[in-house]
Amino acid sequence: MSGKPFDVKAQKKVFKPASLMGPRSGLPMVVESGEDGTITRIRPLHYDDYTDFESKHPWKIEARGSSFEPPRKTLPGCYYTAYKKRVYSNNRVRYPLKRVDWDPKGERNPQNRGKSKYVRISWDEAAQLIADELLRVKEKYGMSAVLAEADMHGEGKHVAPSHGCMNRLLSLLGGYTVQMRNQDSWEGWGWGSKNVWGGEPVGQIKPAGNQWPDIAKNTQMLLCWAGDPESTAVGFEGYMASRLSQWLHTLGIKFVYVDPALNFSGCYLADKWIPVLPNTDAALYLAIIYTWLVEDSYDKEYVKTHAVGYDEFFDYVLGKVDGEPKTPEWASGKCGVPEWTIKALAREWARKITSVAIGNGGPGIRGPHSTEPARLQSICLGMQGLGKPGRHQAKWLEWHNYTEYPLPFQGEEKSTIAHRAEVVRPPEPSPEEEARRQENLQKLLAAGEMEAYLHQDGQLKGNYRLTKQQAEIPELAELLKTMDNAPLQEIPKCMLHDAILKDHIEWWGLYSFCGPASEQWDKHCFPAPGCSKIHMIWSDCPCLVTCWNDGFNMVKAFRSDEIECVVAQHPWLENDCYLADIILPVATMYEMEDIADEEGSGILPCVYHEYPACPPVGESRDDFDCVAAVAKKISDEVYQAYTGNETSVQKCVELFWQGSNVAHLDKDDDFHKKDIFFIPFKPGQQDVPPGIKPFADDPAANPLTTPTGLLEFTSTALKEHFPDDEERPPYPKWIEKSGSHDESLSSERAKKYPLLCMSNHGRWRFHANLDDITWMREVQTMKIRAKDGYQYESMWINPKTAKERGIEFGDIVKVYNERGTVLCGAYVTERLVPGAVYVDHGSRFDPIDAENLDRGGAINLITPHNNISQKATGMVVSGFLVQCEKVTDEEMAEWKRKYPESFARKVDEGCGACLDGWLIK
Amino acid sequence: MSKVFLIDVSKCNGCYNCQFACKDEHCGNDWTPYAKPQPDIGQFWMKLTEHVQGTIPKVKIHYVPHLCNHCDEPACIPVCPVEAIYKRDDGLVIIDPEKCIGCGACSDACPYDAIYRNDELGICQKCTGCAHLLDNGYKLPRCVESCPTDALRFGEKEDLLEELKGAEVRDPASGLGPNVYYKNIPGEFIAGTVYDPVEKEVIIGAKCRAVSGSKLIETVTDEFGDFWFRDLAIGKWDVMITAEGFEAKTFKDVDTEKSVNLGDIPMDRAK
Repeated sequence: MSGKPFDVKAQKKVFKPASLMGPRSGLPMVVESGEDGTITRIRPLHYDDYTDFESKHPWKIEARGSSFEPPRKTLPGCYYTAYKKRVYSNNRVRYPLKRVDWDPKGERNPQNRGKSKYVRISWDEAAQLIADELLRVKEKYGMSAVLAEADMHGEGKHVAPSHGCMNRLLSLLGGYTVQMRNQDSWEGWGWGSKNVWGGEPVGQIKPAGNQWPDIAKNTQMLLCWAGDPESTAVGFEGYMASRLSQWLHTLGIKFVYVDPALNFSGCYLADKWIPVLPNTDAALYLAIIYTWLVEDSYDKEYVKTHAVGYDEFFDYVLGKVDGEPKTPEWASGKCGVPEWTIKALAREWARKITSVAIGNGGPGIRGPHSTEPARLQSICLGMQGLGKPGRHQAKWLEWHNYTEYPLPFQGEEKSTIAHRAEVVRPPEPSPEEEARRQENLQKLLAAGEMEAYLHQDGQLKGNYRLTKQQAEIPELAELLKTMDNAPLQEIPKCMLHDAILKDHIEWWGLYSFCGPASEQWDKHCFPAPGCSKIHMIWSDCPCLVTCWNDGFNMVKAFRSDEIECVVAQHPWLENDCYLADIILPVATMYEMEDIADEEGSGILPCVYHEYPACPPVGESRDDFDCVAAVAKKISDEVYQAYTGNETSVQKCVELFWQGSNVAHLDKDDDFHKKDIFFIPFKPGQQDVPPGIKPFADDPAANPLTTPTGLLEFTSTALKEHFPDDEERPPYPKWIEKSGSHDESLSSERAKKYPLLCMSNHGRWRFHANLDDITWMREVQTMKIRAKDGYQYESMWINPKTAKERGIEFGDIVKVYNERGTVLCGAYVTERLVPGAVYVDHGSRFDPIDAENLDRGGAINLITPHNNISQKATGMVVSGFLVQCEKVTDEEMAEWKRKYPESFARKVDEGCGACLDGWLIK
Repeated sequence: MSKVFLIDVSKCNGCYNCQFACKDEHCGNDWTPYAKPQPDIGQFWMKLTEHVQGTIPKVKIHYVPHLCNHCDEPACIPVCPVEAIYKRDDGLVIIDPEKCIGCGACSDACPYDAIYRNDELGICQKCTGCAHLLDNGYKLPRCVESCPTDALRFGEKEDLLEELKGAEVRDPASGLGPNVYYKNIPGEFIAGTVYDPVEKEVIIGAKCRAVSGSKLIETVTDEFGDFWFRDLAIGKWDVMITAEGFEAKTFKDVDTEKSVNLGDIPMDRAK
C-alpha cells in the first residue's frame, strides 16, 4: 500500500498544553484532528519540526564522565496522551442542568443535594436563574453572602480562564466572599519549614538554581523522602523528572526511599526502600538527629555559624527536656523501622554527601502536625551543611516557580501570559496590616524571593496582577484591570464546612494563598465585621469532597438550609457538581482558542497560540462566556463592564502576546508565522551558584529570609508569637496526640480503627482531574473491576494486613472511621507497609448515602476535620486512623435494599459514573 | 528490510504512555485497510504488564510491554483459512480487516498472545506497527514516539545492531523469528539484611555466598546490612552468611522460582 494516498485524519494540527496547573499552561503537544472536526490523535511535539533547537543554546549537564541533555521532543504525562477520552467523556456536562427538586420559587430541598438528579434546561433559563438568585441574595444579605470558589487546579487557560471568571462579575455587583486556598500539597513546609529557613513562598528551600547539576556532580546519596518523581511531578512538567532520575541513578548515586509505600519511582530505582508507618516520619528524623548528636557526626562548625536555637532543640532530642531521649529504639516503636536500619540510615547520611529529593504532596507532608516532619527534615539538612556541594533539598517539579532553575535552564526572559480573571485575591487589609505587609513583601522582593508574586506600581497584592510591562499596554491594562470591589471577606478552604455550619470561626495566618511567613501570626475571623454568612455558592473548582478535608462534613454543610443556591460551572459532572442546584457546561481547553506559555518542562520554554482542536462538546461554552451569559441577564451595563468591551478571543491573544515579556525576542515573528515561539536560553546560566551555596559560603552576606537570616532550629518568630503552642512548638517535636488530632496507633481510637490510612497525589490523576479516562481505569494500581463489574478505586494493602482480614486481591472492601465509609477494591501488594492502607486522593465521589457512604473511593470524605494544628491553617489528608474490612455479599445486599436509587444510577462500563446516571430524561 | 522493536526494560518507568498512545491511535479510529478500531477497553494491542518481585522491604518492580512480534515466520499466517494475514516488505505483519472472518485460528497459533478477537466486529486484531502512519510520513509507531524515557525503540534491524547487542527475544526456540527484542529483564533475586540482635546494628561487610550445583556467587553486605543476589537462575540455592565474630548462618534450598527476601537476619555471636 506504500505510496498510496491515505487519510490519516491529520488535516488540522494544533498545539495544546499538557498541564492542569490552572492559571499556567504547560508543555505543548500536537493535537491532530480530522476533517469532520473530531480529534484523531495527541502526540508529543518534536522541536526539530518547528525550530532550530541548537540555535536556542540548549543546556547540557556534564558530571562523572557522563552528560545529560534535554530531549528533542516534549514529554507529556500519560493522561495528556489519553486526554481525548477526557474531552469526549461520557461524564461531560453537555448542556445546562438544574437539580430536579430545587425550586427557587418554592421548595429548595437542600437536604437532597448529592442525591436528587438533574433535568436539562436551556442556557437562557440557566443564566436567568443565576442572575435572579444573585440579585435576590444581594438584596437580602448583601454580596458577602456569595461565596466564590475559584482556585486551582484546572485546565491551563488564559483568555477564558478555568478559574475566577465569576469573580469579575461578582466584583461588579459589589464584591463576594473568597474561598482562600490553603497551602495544599506542601502543608508542612509552608507552615513549618518557613520558620526554619524561609524559603518563600512555599517553604521549600530557595534559591534552588542549578541544584540538580550540582547533585549530579557531588551527591553520593539521594534521599527520596516525601514525593515521587513518577507521580507528583507529571501533572506540571511531564516526564523530565523520570529521565533526570534515571540519569542520576546511572551515575552511581545511591537512591534511598523513605515512604510507607514503594512509590512508582522507588519500585524500579530504589537501592534501598525503608518502609515507615504513615505520618511517623518525625520520629525517624529525631532518631537520626539523636544518633548524630551522640556519635558526634554532624557538621558542628556549620551549625555554629549558620544556625540559631540549636542547643535547646538538641536538649529536647537528647531527652533533657522531657526525660525521653529520642533514640533509635524509641523511634522504632513509633515508625516501625528496625532500630538497626535507623542507625544505618543516620550513619549513611552523615558519611555520604546527601541531598533530599522532594515533590509536592508526598505522604510524609500532609498528615496531622505536618509542620513537624517538615521542620525536622530542614534541620537534618542543616546539620549536614545544607548548601555545600551536593547537599540540597531538591524538587522534582515546579521548576518554573524559581527565579533560578534547578536545571540550568532559563529563558532569556521569563514569559508572563496574562490571566483574564482574579483568583484567590485576598480581601483588603486594614491600613496597619497593609503597611506591615508591604514592608515584608518588599523585603522578600528585594531578596528575589517573591518573584511568583506579580506586582503593580510596586505594590504587592497577590497573584495574577499586571506586570509592569503589561501595564504599559493601555488596551491590555484595560482588559485586565482589577475590579474595584475586592473580596469582602475570606474563608480558608479547609474550614469551609465550619464557616457554614458554625456561627463564627477564627483562624491564624492564611490571609493570602502562598503568603509569606510573616502572615502566620495574624488572627482572622468569619464572618468579617459587617459581612454576612454564606447563602449562595458559585464554584468553578467543584472538588472539595475528593480533595479537601472531612468531605462527608462538606456535604452536610452544602445541605444546610442556609445555603439557598449552589452553582457549579465545570466541563465534567463530578464531585461537588452533585451538590449543585444549577450546573453550567464548560468547554475544555481543546475546544478553545487561547495563548499558552511553557517553562516548566525543563526542555525549551515557549509561547504558543492555541486553536480549537474540535468544536465545543454539546452546548458547552468557555468559562468566560458562561459568566458573560449571566452578566447579560443582569444588565447590558454589567455585561459591558464584565467583558471590558472586548469579546474577540483573537484580539485578546494578540494583546496577551504583546504583554508576554518575550515578544521583543521573536525577531523572526515565529509566534505569528508558526504559532509558536521558542525562547532562547540565557547564556551563562550554568554558572549560577547551586542552591543556597552563597549562604553556606557566607551567611552574613547572603542571609536567609528568616528573622535572624540564619537557620532557626528554634524559631525566633514562633517563640515570639506562640511560645506555648504545644502543637507547633518553637522547635519541632514528636506529637503523639494533641488537642487537634488523635490519629496515632497508640490512641484509644486505634482499638476500633487500627490502621493508618495514607494518601498521596495519585499517579493516574491530577488531583480530582482525569478519573474518568477509560484507558487509565484499566491500570490496576488505579482501579480494580470487582465481581459486581464496578471499577473500584484501588486500595493498597499489604498481604499480611489483608490476610488478617480475609481480604484477597480484587475484593470489595470498606475503609471507614467515625466520619463515614468509603468502598474500594483491594490491591494486595508487597509495596505497602503492614498496618496501613493506601488510597490516592481524587477518585470521584459516587454517593450511596452522600453523608456517610461512598462507592467511588473518594478517600478525603473520611479524612480528619481539624487543621494541621490550632494555629497552622491547613488540611490533614494522610496518616489518619481507619478500619478496613471485606464487604460481604449480605452487607452489599443490605445497602442495595436501603439505597435502591443510588445503586440504580447508570454506571458507564468504561468511565464509571457518568452524565446519564444523574440525568432525568 | 526488517523493522524491529527494541525494549530496554531497565528504562521503563511504567507510565503506560505506550499503551495509551496505542489506544489513542486505534480506539475509535478506523484505519482500514490496515486495521479497524481497537475496542475501547479490554484489549491491548500494546500491553504493559507489571511484575512484582520479592517481599517487603526487598521489592522490585519491572514492566514488560507486549505486542505483536512481527515474526519472520509468523505462526498466524499459515493457519489463516482466508489468507487475510500478510507480511509487508518492511517486515510488519498485518491482518487485513476486510478479509478476516474472525475465526481465531491466528489468535490460537500466536505464542505471544498478541492477537485479540474483536467480537463486535467479528475479526481478529493486533498491533500493526502503525503501518498506516509509517506509510504516510510519520517516523515512528505511536507507542515508541510517546515513550518518555526512550525505553522503546523502533527501526531497521541493520540500523540498531549496536543497541541490539545483549537483547533477547521471547521464546527464541519457537523458530518464528520474532522481531521484538528485550533488554535488561531482571531475573529473580535472593536478598536480606544481616544484623546483630544484641547491639541492634546492621552488619556491614558480612560475606554472603549463594551456591546452586556448580554455581557460586559471592557478595558482601552494604552499609544497610543488605545483600542482593540478582539475576539468579531458577533453582534451589544454599545461602551462607558469615561475619567475623558471629556464627555462620545457612539457608538451605532457597527456591528462586520466585524472588526471595530472607528478611532481617539476626546473627548469633560466635561461641
